[in-house]
Amino acid sequence: MLLAGLLLPPDALAIQIHQGSEGIIVHQVGHLFFLLSMVVLVFIITGRNLNREKGWRMIQYSAILFVLWNLDTITAHFFDNQIGAVTVENLSLRRVKISAESNSEFLVHFYHALKLDHLLCVPALFLFYRGLTHILDREKHNQKTAGNTEP
Amino acid sequence: MIFSSLPILIVDMVGSVAMVIIAVLALNKARQLRELDHDNAIFLYLLWISTGFAIFAVSRSFSHILKQFLILTANAEVWHSISPYTGAVNTVSFMLVGLITLFFNQSWKINEKILSSREKLEETHIKLMSLNQTLEQKVVERTEMLTSSEHKARRILEQSLDTIVMTDENLMVAEINQAGTTLTGYKKSDMLDKKMSIGDFMAKSSEWQRFHNLLNTHEYILNEETDFLRPDRSQVRVLITGGIDYGAFGCGKSFHFIIKNINDKKQMEQQIAQADKLAALGEMSAGVAHEINNPLGIILGYTQLMLKEKSGFEEDLKTIEKHVKNCREVVSDLLSFSRKGGKEMGLVDVHKVVDGVVKFLGNHTDFRKVDIMLDLWDGERLLVKGHIQELTQVMINLMINACHAIEDAENGQIEVQTRKNDKDQVVICVKDNGTGIRKRYISRIFDPFFTTKPVGRGTGLGLSVGYGIIRRHGGEITATNRKEKGAAFTICLPVNDNPDTP
Repeated sequence: MLLAGLLLPPDALAIQIHQGSEGIIVHQVGHLFFLLSMVVLVFIITGRNLNREKGWRMIQYSAILFVLWNLDTITAHFFDNQIGAVTVENLSLRRVKISAESNSEFLVHFYHALKLDHLLCVPALFLFYRGLTHILDREKHNQKTAGNTEP
Repeated sequence: MIFSSLPILIVDMVGSVAMVIIAVLALNKARQLRELDHDNAIFLYLLWISTGFAIFAVSRSFSHILKQFLILTANAEVWHSISPYTGAVNTVSFMLVGLITLFFNQSWKINEKILSSREKLEETHIKLMSLNQTLEQKVVERTEMLTSSEHKARRILEQSLDTIVMTDENLMVAEINQAGTTLTGYKKSDMLDKKMSIGDFMAKSSEWQRFHNLLNTHEYILNEETDFLRPDRSQVRVLITGGIDYGAFGCGKSFHFIIKNINDKKQMEQQIAQADKLAALGEMSAGVAHEINNPLGIILGYTQLMLKEKSGFEEDLKTIEKHVKNCREVVSDLLSFSRKGGKEMGLVDVHKVVDGVVKFLGNHTDFRKVDIMLDLWDGERLLVKGHIQELTQVMINLMINACHAIEDAENGQIEVQTRKNDKDQVVICVKDNGTGIRKRYISRIFDPFFTTKPVGRGTGLGLSVGYGIIRRHGGEITATNRKEKGAAFTICLPVNDNPDTP
């Protein structure tokens, strides 16, 4: 048996053929990874008591908003790309038709709200910017104070 | 269900542009933070994550704007063909942000270690600075102490009235103070150039050999008396103490000596001893004179009574009378030497005494060959309290003694000098250029009956009587040999400036 296996091998089939849905799966995994990293950041900031400082507190809020944004996009991609429960059709420049597979109005409205994801990611990035601004101001103040007290 | 596409379109477009702008601003802030402290790992982390956000924002915004543009321009097929690529880039960008975020904890720990190390480094630096300052302060304090100590030692060396000498291991003078040059009479440069040792100052080389042996044996000499011989041949009595210094800080062996000039002290001791001796002799002379004077008076009285009657022994009786009178003169001189006052004293002008004596003796045959020089004080009158006859007698005795000393000399000179010294005393000095006084006789010269003259030329009472008179006047009389030829007798009498208080 062993000898036969060695002398008469079947096709190896080493290169796997990928399906078209792999792209959206990878994209979803990417969002999930981004979400988890933001959750980790939130807990690290809390665990190190950095949220007592305004700058780090704002970065923490930014991470929370990015978590929500990731949830938003994961959910939206799940409905349209992954399971095809929602389809979007541009009727004209001003009109768009959103239809749910089960004709669920709630799903249509929910999906329409999910499409406004910039309302989450832009404030998230702005809070991150404000956090950096506060940290920078505090650092400058500290260096100035240290400079004044040095002999 | 049909919706207006405007809300989605506006939020999408405005949000995309806003994301790019905010991400770039955030990246700039992170860069500034990094500039503030290049060693801060958290700032480096924030720069990384800001970069990730910027890539993410640009990638996502670009794809969203492109998507809307293509759809609105009826090029949806084009968007469908490129959307997998923009989606892939977008996926990679936010995965990158997530990946960087996970390094936050490690970055924080690294930063804590850096901060801790920096803190320790600063503490160590502060300690080092403190130690350095302490060290510098100690160096300053020690230097000040050393300078002060050196200054004190230098002051002691320079200001000491005793001679301090340091020699090398061969006992050659290496350092000597001002008192030393004054005592020895040599210049310091001469001592160093000629490599003189302390032995070169000594009058007797055998003494130095003895001190040398003592130093080698005991490593010190203590209060050893000896005489130093100066370049002008005068001698000084000194007391030497010295010892070996084996040196420190790499210095070689050396010798240190302290030399005291005890010449004045010795002379004073001799004068006190002389005064004590003469006082004792005075007491004895007074007793003897008193006991002899009475029998002499009786002998003289009976002799003179017998001379009044003819007996055939007139010549013998006159001889007896003559010698008894001589004896009475001697006894009278003895009494003058030992007399302790009694006569009233008045004011005496010293210059009148000197003038009177010089005029009186100038007519004497013994003084005709003698050149008498007067060096009289030209300041105020020199008045003393005393008896003019007694002081005249002292001056005559001194002048006669001087005349006898120079009688064999060709250019005999007697100099009489008067002055007032800083002790408020009148000083009368009678100097001659005769034979001088032998050193061994100086201590006996005021003793009663001491004379170096041939028998019959002097009783040995002249100077004794003078001594007694001057002592009764509260003064002093001393005899010394002059550096040049001859002897000098110096009388010091207390001055009396007030003619109203005799």
